Parts: sequence; C-alpha cells; structure tokens
Amino acid sequence: MAQRTRSRTNGTPPPILLKGLGVQYDLRLSKKRKLRDTVLRDGRHAQSGKFWALREVDFTVAAGESVAVIGPNGAGKSTMLQVLAGILEPSVGTVEVRGKIATLLQLGAGFDPELNARENTLLVGEFLGVPHREMIRRLPAILEFADLGEFADAEVRTYSSGMRARLGFSVATSVEPDVLLLDEVLSTGDAAFIEKSRGRIMELMKRARAIVFVTHDLDSAANFCTRAIELDGGRIVADGPANRVIAAYKKKMAKRSTMAARSGQGVRRGS
Amino acid sequence: MTTSSTELTVGRPRRGSIGSILESVAALIERRRLVWYLTISEVRTKGTNSLLGNIWWFLDPALQLFIYFLLVNVLFHRSQPAILLFLGAAILPWKWFTAALTTATTAVRRREQVMRQIAFPHIVLPAASVLASVGNFLFALVPLGALYLLYPDRLTPWALAVFPVAVVQFLWTIPAVITLSALGVFFRDISNFIPHGLRIWFYLSPALFPIETLQAIGDRHPWFGVLVNANPFTWIFSGYRDALYHGRAPDWIPLGALALASIPAILLSIYLFRRASPLFVKVL
Repeated sequence: MAQRTRSRTNGTPPPILLKGLGVQYDLRLSKKRKLRDTVLRDGRHAQSGKFWALREVDFTVAAGESVAVIGPNGAGKSTMLQVLAGILEPSVGTVEVRGKIATLLQLGAGFDPELNARENTLLVGEFLGVPHREMIRRLPAILEFADLGEFADAEVRTYSSGMRARLGFSVATSVEPDVLLLDEVLSTGDAAFIEKSRGRIMELMKRARAIVFVTHDLDSAANFCTRAIELDGGRIVADGPANRVIAAYKKKMAKRSTMAARSGQGVRRGS
Repeated sequence: MTTSSTELTVGRPRRGSIGSILESVAALIERRRLVWYLTISEVRTKGTNSLLGNIWWFLDPALQLFIYFLLVNVLFHRSQPAILLFLGAAILPWKWFTAALTTATTAVRRREQVMRQIAFPHIVLPAASVLASVGNFLFALVPLGALYLLYPDRLTPWALAVFPVAVVQFLWTIPAVITLSALGVFFRDISNFIPHGLRIWFYLSPALFPIETLQAIGDRHPWFGVLVNANPFTWIFSGYRDALYHGRAPDWIPLGALALASIPAILLSIYLFRRASPLFVKVL
C-alpha cells in the first residue's frame, strides 16, 4: 500500500495522507459517567450507540498545498485536525503525517498558572517534544514576540487573557513546521497583536510544506488556501480549488438560510 | 532538530504488548525533563495559596501522627514502649501511599486541556504523580527523625534500612498510580471510593498494632491469615518497624519477593495504560 502512494508522488511520500479514515466516538464512554451506570447496565441509564465523527475520509495533501477545511458546526473539522496532530488515533483507516508539525488549536494549552512565562515556555516546549537546548535558544525570541513587559517574571495566573493568548501564540509558532495545522487563531488579542500574528502566520505558511486550515471565515480561507474541502456529517462532500469549493459552499449556505427563513415558524419552534 | 521533512511523525503502526511497553518506557526516558517539570509543579502547588506554605509538608505528617497517638494511647490505653516511634514508623509511610493514590485518580484527568491540544505520551502524567508523591515520604522523614530526640536509645544504624524498604513500597506505588490514573478518566466515582478502600486496608495492616495481633486472629480464622500474608503492607510495615523501632535487620526475604513481584505488575499497568490512552481524549 505504502509503495503505491510513494510511486504516485515521484518517490517522496506526501506530507499528509489519510486513507479510509474513520473516527468513532462511543457515546457510552462520554463524560460524567458513573460507576453505577456500568454496574446496572440496563440500557436506560447508559446512552447507547456509537457515533462517527469522521467516516471514510480519503485525503492526500501534496507538498506545497494549503487546504481549507470548511463545513457546518459538528461536521468533523476539529476532529480532523486532532487526528492530523496525532492527538486522536483513528478507529479505522490510516493516517500518515510526515515532518515537524505545529498546531495552533487553542492557545495557552499546557500552561501552569503557578509558573512564570519563561518556565511555562520551557514546559510547553517539553510537551511539544522540542529538545531542551533548542527551546533555550528560542526563549528570548519567544518572550520578545509575546511582549509581556514587566509581567515576564510574574506567574501566568496573574496574566490577562490577552497576555496569555500572546504567550501561547508565541510559543506555538516558534517551531519551524513542515506541516502547519491552524484552527481559527487569527483573531486573538488586541488589534495590534492580530496584525503582528497575521504576519507571523503568513511567514510560517510560506515555509511550511503543507497547511491545513480549519475556519468559518470563508473569505480568508479563499485568500490563503489553494484548495478547500467541505466536510458534512463526517464525510468529505466537496474537494477542489479553494475558490470554486468555497463559492459553491456559500451558495449552498445562502440557499439553506432562505429556506430556513421561509419556514421561519418551524425554526423558531425548533430552537 | 533531526526530524527530516519526510519522517513519519503521526501514524506509526500500532504495536503489540511488548512493543507498547517498550514504547512507553522509551517515551519516559525521552521526556524525562517533562516528567521532572510536572513533578516540580505538583510539589509546588501544595505549598502555594496557604498561609504556612511549604511548612505543611512537615506539619501534615506531624499532626496526623499526633492524632493517632491520642487515639491509641489516650483513648484505647494500648500502650507500647516508645509509642510515637512505633506508630510513626508505619503511619508516615502509609501517608505517602494514600497521598499517591488519592492524587493518582486525577493525575490524567486534570491535564484534560493540554491533552486535547498537544500530542504527547500520556504516561508522563502518572509518572510525575508517582515521583511527586515521594515528596510526602522525604518530608515525613523530618518529624520521624525528630522522634529520636525522645527515644535516643532506639536509634541504630539499621534505621538506614528504611530506604530499601521504601524502595519496595515505591515499586508497588508505580502500578497502583498508573492503573488508577487511567481508571480515573473513565470512572469519576473512583476518587470517592479510594479513601474508604484505603481506610479498610489500613486497619487490616499492622499499623496501629503489632503484627502479632493480626497473626492471633489469623490463627483462629485461616482465611484471615492468608489475607494478612498476601497484604504487601504487612511486610512493608514490619520492615519499617524493624529498621526504625526494633533497631534490627528487616526480614529481607518477603521484601525481596515483593520487589520481584512488582515487576510484572508494573509492566502490566504500563501496557493497560497504553491501550487505554487513545480513548482518553475522546472521553474527557
């Protein structure tokens, strides 16, 4: 199997390869589960059934491509990124991602409120698996970009949410990734920082071999990306050049909302 | 730094039982610094947000020892020579074990946020929890050492044998913490159950009374005798007491057997943890 994919791309395997991928959630294992429900498994307490967050996804990203993933809420977009980042293991099928990965999912994950900026940067570096010496080398640049002023030596618990996001962004983007996974992080912090972070992301995008970008912001997706896929109900329903897929998706959404408006009574009752 | 742009970073094939144990052990070695950072952070958290701060590390065991002293000596009139040392030799190591198991149930669950954002080997979480619990033992050595001011004639070179006995206890703390940290993800009630389970275990172990008391019951009810002998803490407490209280060599044979028996338990717990870990992110 692996040999076939290799030959298709002239010897070098693609940065991202998903094949027959499915991610299944077992609703019985869902949150706030109590021991009692397991012992008295009478079917009424336990929510039964399984749920496919992603199903039969075949998807290859070649070197140089940037792919926007669009679709309604609950379509499986975030699950897709988590699989690509190696956070979730697929239930069926294969996932292969090659090269260094940078994920910009939620900023500031892994911070310990009792540690200061410097210590937290090193801590997150360890979570990410960046070698210690490398992290020490990057430290000054990371702190400078986060622009924390006198707070650099204070514990993170004293930070405002904006400062926390800035530090998180700065740490997460300090790697030079081959594969960049983005989940709507372009809108963190104040206006000045948004501008600055946009610049940094552009820089990373230029250098990365492959980009996957999950977003609801269709216009920036059309700007940034060469290709788009649309997910719905965990399946890929459209795949092609970004402009074409996004235009078709917009048209579909517009149609859906006019239909919803027409049957306004029903919608109101439903919500 | 050495990752080339074509090296597989996500999607390595799943491994068999021995493979996944080796993979976890390799991950622990590779991420030893992460384990250490998490350990330090856990130890530090205890001292913050309280008036006396890190003094609690010493005060906690000292107060607990004092309460049991009141219970046994004043209420039950069950007097032993050098009673504080007799009790301390068992109660203080036991406190280490209970602290380890109680925090274990949330060791993975607490890091829910970062688990959802970054892919890392989850085994580092219980590993840090085990190491942080050792702090309980090390700090308890201070009030324990202070007891020799009351009973200076009890201090012998055999007191140093607490360390090998502590190693045996440590070896059994590892699989217990790893297993509970995984179970704690799936069953939140575990954290409510643990303190009660531990209390029963405590009274079935020779902590507040000499081992002879349990053996006497065992003579009358053979099943109880089996239970006493199968309880690792029968031998661990006796070991501590030999070293610290009686000033003699611990009984090395059962302790050695316990140490050996911990190895398959550790490997099994690592394997089960690795098997369960893909589900953590889905459940949390």
